[in-house]
Amino acid sequence: MSYRRILPAAVLAAVCLTGCAKSEPQEYSTDLFAMDTYMQLKVWNTDDGASLDAAAARIAALENTFSVTIDGSDIARVNHAAGAPTQVSEDTALLIRKAQEIGDASGGALDISLYPVLCAWGFTTGEMHVPERSTLDALLGQVDYTKIGLDGNTVTLPADMEIDLGALAKGYTSDEVIRIFRESGAESAIVSLGGNVQALGSKPDGSKWKVGIVDPFSPSENMGVVEIENQAVITSGNYERYFEENGQKYWHILDKADGEPADNGLVSVTIIGDSGLQCDALSTALFVEGTQDAVAHWQRDGGFEMLLVTEDGRLLVTEGIADAFTNRSAMPMEVISHE
Amino acid sequence: MNKPLAAIAAFAGLVFLGSGAWMLAGHFRAQDAVLVEIVQDGKVLYTVDLASEEDRSIRIEGADSWNLVTVRGGEIFMEEAGCPDQTCVKMGVLRAENLPIVCLPNKLVIRFADSQEVS
Repeated sequence: MSYRRILPAAVLAAVCLTGCAKSEPQEYSTDLFAMDTYMQLKVWNTDDGASLDAAAARIAALENTFSVTIDGSDIARVNHAAGAPTQVSEDTALLIRKAQEIGDASGGALDISLYPVLCAWGFTTGEMHVPERSTLDALLGQVDYTKIGLDGNTVTLPADMEIDLGALAKGYTSDEVIRIFRESGAESAIVSLGGNVQALGSKPDGSKWKVGIVDPFSPSENMGVVEIENQAVITSGNYERYFEENGQKYWHILDKADGEPADNGLVSVTIIGDSGLQCDALSTALFVEGTQDAVAHWQRDGGFEMLLVTEDGRLLVTEGIADAFTNRSAMPMEVISHE
Repeated sequence: MNKPLAAIAAFAGLVFLGSGAWMLAGHFRAQDAVLVEIVQDGKVLYTVDLASEEDRSIRIEGADSWNLVTVRGGEIFMEEAGCPDQTCVKMGVLRAENLPIVCLPNKLVIRFADSQEVS
């Protein structure tokens, strides 16, 4: 075959390739501040960024629904209803139902009615301090998530109680962002909501996403990387929001047993699973449960994988994720299995 | 192989080698620079190359707070912040691509310019 025949074919192929490239998914990304955190969204799509705009709008709407401090939000109305039944959105009812479910599954370790105690520590305003023991004892008398009434989308809360959905809202929000991306036709997306990561599909090149896991003993560094696709990776750690007073460290994940920061052997809990909501709620619940009960919880219920770091420097990884985790820390990895 | 075809093949080969050399040079250029962005509410205020930046501090004002960002010895960190919780100051030095230093009150972020890993 002479070059005179090859050349037109090559030109045609080049034109076709160039033309085809225009319909390939493009990267659209944004970062924003919402829900008291820094969020990064990235999606590969063919929609001129429409799904990214829709996701940002959904985040703003959910913040206005769940925020405990925004007047007129579902949670503000429930907290200020003085015991009267309050009609809430499907989203809020779903989160309260999930909070009750995980509360039950964790022996009450997750309790969304701890909010007044969190306020007493100043974690809600940033002006943190150790409250008086008598203050904590008085407030703990009003903490009991089993007293939250939920009938359809109607919530009834005793007048002296207050709730917040901080342990679930970001996980549900990442579920919703990923749903919007998927329904728009995207096959590849990654979101980080204050370090809570959720992925749609794999990277555009087909490889898995690499998600860094924070080293709780050195929070500006990663202790390792987990490779995932179509999953959420959500961590609760004692390094996220804390303060020190008289040489003692106090963090924002509280134990309703005494109203103090949960101190049951764990400094970091990472949950990996299909649902951001489930992972978010479980990461808080298992942190409070502590090492032994967290392992027992996983062995009993399953449906998720986890990485636990204990205060004495052990790294426990469930068998379903051990092969996908690259340990960069000095801690030897101990694999835990269903026994 | 006839002459015109040989000429096209030679030209294609040169283009291939040339682009390979360009990419390789770009790779080494990218390795030399350690680019960090200081971003406030989505707007990039400064892009700093930690590999060559002189030691200095930058005070950044916001509507509700302020920050003092410091570059020292090829590292960058939030030296001071006007908010009560000091979360960004406690973050220490920027080390990982997936762990930006974030000041929520001032909507200020210090991050590596090209992030490959997420978290």
